[in-house]
Amino acid sequence: MIEVKNFTKIYHLSKKQMKEQKLKASQKVAVDHINFIAKEGQIFGLLGPNGAGKTTTLRSIATLLNPTKGEIIVQGFDVTKNPTEVRRRIGFLTNELKLDTHFTPAYTMSFFGKLHSMSAKDIDSRTEELFEYFGIKDFANKKISDLSTGMMQKLSIAVSLIHDPEVVIFDEPTNGLDIITARAVTDYLQKLKERGKLIIVSTHIMTVAEKLCDKVAIIIGGKKVADGTILEVLNQTNATNLEDAFFELYKENVGEGV
Amino acid sequence: MLLNIISKELKRVFSDRRLVISTFVIPAISIYVLYSLMGNMMGNVLGDIERHTSIVYVSNAPQSFSNYFDTVKDTYNMEVDFGDYDKNEFTERIRSGEVDLLVEFEDQFDAKVASYSDSNQSPEIMTFSNPSEDYSNEAKNNFVFDILEGYEKEILTDRFGNINYVKAFDVDATNQESAILDEKKAAASGLGMIVPMILAIILFAGAMGIGMDTIAGEKERGTMATLLLTPIPRETIALGKVIGLGIVAIISAACSFGAIIASLPNMLSSFGGEGVGPIGLSFSILQYVQLFVIMITLVGIYVGLICLISVRARSVKEAGTYMAPIYMIIMIAAFSTMFSKSGGVALYKFAIPVYGSVTAIKEMFSFELSLMEFGVTSGVSIIVTAIIIKLITKTFNDEKVMFNA
Repeated sequence: MIEVKNFTKIYHLSKKQMKEQKLKASQKVAVDHINFIAKEGQIFGLLGPNGAGKTTTLRSIATLLNPTKGEIIVQGFDVTKNPTEVRRRIGFLTNELKLDTHFTPAYTMSFFGKLHSMSAKDIDSRTEELFEYFGIKDFANKKISDLSTGMMQKLSIAVSLIHDPEVVIFDEPTNGLDIITARAVTDYLQKLKERGKLIIVSTHIMTVAEKLCDKVAIIIGGKKVADGTILEVLNQTNATNLEDAFFELYKENVGEGV
Repeated sequence: MLLNIISKELKRVFSDRRLVISTFVIPAISIYVLYSLMGNMMGNVLGDIERHTSIVYVSNAPQSFSNYFDTVKDTYNMEVDFGDYDKNEFTERIRSGEVDLLVEFEDQFDAKVASYSDSNQSPEIMTFSNPSEDYSNEAKNNFVFDILEGYEKEILTDRFGNINYVKAFDVDATNQESAILDEKKAAASGLGMIVPMILAIILFAGAMGIGMDTIAGEKERGTMATLLLTPIPRETIALGKVIGLGIVAIISAACSFGAIIASLPNMLSSFGGEGVGPIGLSFSILQYVQLFVIMITLVGIYVGLICLISVRARSVKEAGTYMAPIYMIIMIAAFSTMFSKSGGVALYKFAIPVYGSVTAIKEMFSFELSLMEFGVTSGVSIIVTAIIIKLITKTFNDEKVMFNA
């Protein structure tokens, strides 16, 4: 279970960053007191436009950023007090995390498997399973730099899942993937859910969320504006689909200027 | 875990042909070529000076000197004209390089020497040469330090017909072994001056390129964050990087050092010191251990600094910018030891990071490094490395630096 309680993240901006982002204040509230709970056997979606605070929230859950206020508990462990225990239990996927293209997929899997204290036998069987599923098997001993972009993305996913984590955090899961890879990924997430894993994804594509997520939280401007099952959100906004529901909420909270 | 990270770092370097060539092969080859060329060129210059027949004019020479010179003239490649010459006329010829040396004896030199006692002024011989001309310098050195010295000894022997004195003189003149010893000592002290400095610089240079590539590059390419997401303590990642890079730095330095040793015969033959090299210096096992410990702890500081800068930089390019002043400081620290006298160095100087280590290596070469000094240097280096590793760990936890947040 992931419990996010009163989570707030404030960035302190340098003069250069203030200039780049055309802001006058030296602080920027990226996430403002949000609360939600995501449970095992669910795909939980964080929805919102770019810059809403989705990535900041996911990175904080993944222990890469520290909450300024509030707390985040992952499988019973606080992300600030027990980051190592949290890291043991999560797989975090984002486009910003890359693999060293000099090595082969097989070596990369084994390296990260060892860092997760897995036995050689476990690493082998897990690699076999993931490579089989994502179709990486034939490329296992090629240099990563020789793989296609799609193949590299699938390998990144496989690497982050090597230790069979209880919690899978996925920032924009289908962003930049071709249609076939995207389908393979969403299918795999469904499979993980069936196995009782907790999956939390962020996306700004409402059709993806509608198909994939059991529960969602909609964030706009760092604040949570709605949450619940897709049906609950639709009822709350009197909309027929999630995209319309999102624009209703956007109008309510930001104004007409869509 | 630590071994896993170190082995990955090493695999990263040694399985990459580009890195192997740029870190180990090219520096070693360029050092060998450069030093050999330098040696050959210096050898040519010195050889040319030796082959040159010095043009020397001796004015107002006393009979005793002419007689003495006749006995030794075959030893020197020198064309000597005796006569009565005007100094003013020769000034321009010496300046233009036409004449190498003019020697002028005082009037009635022999008589003055004979009547010389402590109470009156000693008779004088004046020489005129052009120090900016190699030929002229060589002529003056030969004349003043060899010929005139020999002549003076002969006069002294004549004047003080003392048996003991003659004997002493004889011993000195034939004691060739002592001359060889002197030469060896000179070569050793020359090495003591250059080797620590070169070691200090090539150790840093070897680690610098790779360090920036594997750490700042790793951050730039986004592979560092992947590593930080694993349940490995940050300290272990920092230590793994530092040790991995340290091994690379030492191997790189060993390659460069090997190249120096290989080019040494070319260098030394130009100084006429054949067969004299660091191999000729006999170090005890303790000294080898000391050298190894000083080097390893120095590498610790270097690699730590390189890692710290690379981790803090946003890109390889930025790391390069920060690295330049650090490299300068290392060079200054290394160079400044070159001109300090060995022996009697204040203990606190050994506690200055980098400078202390280079000084210690230098003292070791002149067999003057005490255990206390060795302990201070190594201890300080270890403490500084530990502090740097702590700072790297802290940087790994700094979200602003790591994730630009």
